[in-house]
Amino acid sequence: SNRVVMSKRKVKDVHLPVGECVPKLQEILRERICHQQLPVRPEGVEAQHKHLLELLRRTAVHGESNSVLIVGPRGAGKTMLLKCVLRDLLQDKEVQKNLLQVHLNGLLQTSDSVALKDITRQLQLENAVGDKVFGSFAENLAFLLEALKKGDRSRSRPVLFVLDEFDLFAHHKNQTLLYNLFDVSQSAQAPVAVVGLTCRLDVLELLEKRVKSRFSHRQIHLLNSPTFPQYLERVRTQLSLPDNFPDERFARDWNGSVESLCEDKLVQEVFQRHFNSSKDFRSLHLLLMFCLSRVSVSRATLRTSDLLEASRLCFTDAKANMLHGLSILELCLVIAMKHLNDVYEGEPFNLQMVHNEFKKFLQRRPNSVYNFETPVIMKAFEHLQQLELIRPVDGPTAKSQKEYQLMRLMLDHSQIMEALQKYPQCPTDVRQWAMSAFG
Amino acid sequence: PGTPRTPSIPSRSLPARQPANVLEEARTRLHVSSVPESLPCREQEFQDIYSFVESKIMDGTGGCMYVSGVPGTGKTATVHEVMRCLQQAADVDQIPSFSFVEINGMKMTDPHQAYVQILQELTGQKATADHAAALLEKRFSNPAPRKETTVLLVDELDLLWTRKQNVMYNLFDWPTRRHARLVVLTIANTMDLPERVMINRVASRLGLTRMSFQPYTFKQLQQIITSRLNKVKAFEEDALQLASRKVAALSGDARRCLDICRRATEICEHSAAGLVGMSHVMEALDEMFSSAYVAAIRSASLQEQLFLRAVIAEFRRLGLEEATFQQVLLQHQALCRVEGVQPVGVSEGLAVCQRLGACRLLLLESSRLGLLMRVRLNVSQDDVLYALKAD
Repeated sequence: SNRVVMSKRKVKDVHLPVGECVPKLQEILRERICHQQLPVRPEGVEAQHKHLLELLRRTAVHGESNSVLIVGPRGAGKTMLLKCVLRDLLQDKEVQKNLLQVHLNGLLQTSDSVALKDITRQLQLENAVGDKVFGSFAENLAFLLEALKKGDRSRSRPVLFVLDEFDLFAHHKNQTLLYNLFDVSQSAQAPVAVVGLTCRLDVLELLEKRVKSRFSHRQIHLLNSPTFPQYLERVRTQLSLPDNFPDERFARDWNGSVESLCEDKLVQEVFQRHFNSSKDFRSLHLLLMFCLSRVSVSRATLRTSDLLEASRLCFTDAKANMLHGLSILELCLVIAMKHLNDVYEGEPFNLQMVHNEFKKFLQRRPNSVYNFETPVIMKAFEHLQQLELIRPVDGPTAKSQKEYQLMRLMLDHSQIMEALQKYPQCPTDVRQWAMSAFG
Repeated sequence: PGTPRTPSIPSRSLPARQPANVLEEARTRLHVSSVPESLPCREQEFQDIYSFVESKIMDGTGGCMYVSGVPGTGKTATVHEVMRCLQQAADVDQIPSFSFVEINGMKMTDPHQAYVQILQELTGQKATADHAAALLEKRFSNPAPRKETTVLLVDELDLLWTRKQNVMYNLFDWPTRRHARLVVLTIANTMDLPERVMINRVASRLGLTRMSFQPYTFKQLQQIITSRLNKVKAFEEDALQLASRKVAALSGDARRCLDICRRATEICEHSAAGLVGMSHVMEALDEMFSSAYVAAIRSASLQEQLFLRAVIAEFRRLGLEEATFQQVLLQHQALCRVEGVQPVGVSEGLAVCQRLGACRLLLLESSRLGLLMRVRLNVSQDDVLYALKAD
């Protein structure tokens, strides 16, 4: 036994080279952040977890039919909650043996006939052979309803229907599938539990009256409502390494660096800004992922500058960035449009007007290098349209001639001014022209 | 493919557990699916439908009846009960035997499937819609020896509407044939369906035998629950009354009332109280009827709340209920400066706006329009202000 203790101690003191630790670290944290690893206990939603778990358990054990909607904004953890509940539910042997599961997604099952085929396949009913389902849409529906009708509360295996993106099912023709699923849940047939997940708060208003009447009106609401300290705590738990990390000293150092990062005033300000913008954890995870991808073997700690850079990436303005890539001529046209917008208070313009405005600028600088031909200007204008920086007023299919087609500028003044500040080697006269109040 | 089997869901390996205590017993009884033998508060309607169908069976004639009422008022259940009682009467030879066929507009993929299902239930034959229509036509027009009456129940009638209305026309025309011996009972939600959607020759064949089911009053709802519970003492009197009064005031839908009571028993079980009391029912009512908008606004992030305030500010400035994203963004940036937070950029502002649009606090146009996207509120301004002010 002495030897065992010895060897254990040896394992504990093992010290891996950084070249092995960092990939391991990346693997663990990526699994956690990108692959939506389930937490051991869902935090902050204990009541909802309990409600759903008991509801599904009653279906599985007592054969009671139920229907419920899980409603919450995107990134609030609806799927995570359901997965946690199913994991905990299936630990019960009795449930495991009995419960049948059908998972549907409104983005995949775009019509009732596709959904029905998938239900038949997932339930492995008799008209499904392998992955193929036989029969027409009408026969499939009759078959499924017949099968469910034959069942009864105490003898048939309960079926759990999970409808992800529930609101999309409400747009199917006549809402036939929803009506039938809810109708089964409200009549003495095979026991079913219908669980819908959606981010729309007004989802009940989408349902037809008879469908709505058959729905049990149970809604489980999930909200993104962490306080700022909880938000920071989440950062800590997401980034810190577990105790069973192979190299203990590396893990300790890493966790120390995470800790000191979270204590930093500057870092806290950055997190506060993200928290003010959105409380959902998914956008936080994106930020952390940007940070994490800057960690390498040569620099195996998290630094404040990493976070600042990541935050800058998250908050950059996409349109202003695009402006940096324009040619001087295109930029001049944008400035001319901005002046037109100022003078005519947002009225639409056409190429002729923009060209005129540009000519006015050129007149004041007689020997300017920007004396372009009309076709060149037109090409630049078309390029702006392709980038959707300008947009035709009556849609792209209008018949009018290109020079006279009315357009609107899709940029805000602040974006143009910001882009001009950062534009590489912007000529001074162009910048002055942009600043001047009147073209 | 071998011999066709009857479709079924596999059976359980372990039988379902029976209710173990009073609350579980009450919950089983209160489930919408456990329809009682006789429906309370629908005695008059039961009697009317019963005598209508009975007289047609006795005389060997045919006819139509139209039953309407809002969802959850016991239409289908009453007709089923009538048919059950008539079946019992036929079994003891009080009335001639008959066959009963039921179709439901919502359980079909296409109105013409009605023919297929009727034929299948009558004869067990499978056929295409056109062929089935022809076979039924023949069956109902030609005389046959020892023909028994057929009672056809058509639920969710409005779904059988087609442009030429030939399905409805046939359903109402067959009973008028001399040898048909067909009684058609139709159920739908709206009272004026025949006048609204049917062309004259269809409406005239439907006839004037109509019945409308009124929404349940609170006394009736209370009676329904009491009769379902059938001496299982799980509820306080006041609690029952509260649930039924609340539902009667809103819709008079019995399903709703039963669901609320069922939820109340669950809440009661958590709080470890013996009987379901007022507080439990109140909580259940809150869960089911309260609007989620206010809570959603309160839990929104700071910038999202500022955006909502900016929307209202812009609406007030314009005097309209609609503004472009660009206009709201200017207000939003101004509000940010007043509140002392860093003003949002266009991209960030758009993201905030999209998030509010995704959960339908705002109604938005397609995001391709960018700054020109029009923004509307999906909640009343008062709700937003109340939600933002209360903290």
